[in-house]
Amino acid sequence: MRLGIVRGQVVLSVGLPALRGTRLLVVEPITAENLAAGADRGGGKCLIVADHLAPHVGQRVAFVEGREAANPYWPQDAPVDAYSALIVEGVDFRPPATAPLPAHAEGQR
Amino acid sequence: MFLARIDGTLTSTAKHATLQACRFLLGQRLEADGSTSGEPLVILDRLGARHGSTVVVSTDGDIARQWLGNTTPARMVVVGIVDSVTLEGA
Repeated sequence: MRLGIVRGQVVLSVGLPALRGTRLLVVEPITAENLAAGADRGGGKCLIVADHLAPHVGQRVAFVEGREAANPYWPQDAPVDAYSALIVEGVDFRPPATAPLPAHAEGQR
Repeated sequence: MFLARIDGTLTSTAKHATLQACRFLLGQRLEADGSTSGEPLVILDRLGARHGSTVVVSTDGDIARQWLGNTTPARMVVVGIVDSVTLEGA
């Protein structure tokens, strides 16, 4: 899953029946720099995310992409490729300044 | 599958019903030179990876469906905690 900031909502005038009852969020994915800075900026490319959790605008969500995004509709099929799985309460994100792979050089442990 | 470094944790109260008891970590995908790429990822962990761990992540949702049921949206799962990585010619 990726993280994103809810920027708004899409309302359809006509939609496929499988989407009935699904909210469509406009979500801006959050880059590592912005997450580490705690900024209210996303920085990623906006996408539409199916939702049943009803987050507010400005809240952060974690959304799954791909085939698994339609799993919540099982056993029905739904033409959904992004789904908000949780509303983020808090993050503790502290990437190191530099970090090589473990034992990247031979003999290093 | 890909390598990721665990850089944090995430807390949440409102989540999909199948994810209530799950532990989620924040990680970043790693390249061969140890640099990170892409955006931060929320990864399901049952192995006990910690801040700073290097892990192997699978994006196959089948194991998550086995654990959490057919309706779970979980996809990225820690399938192993890395001891060492050896690269030829590195």
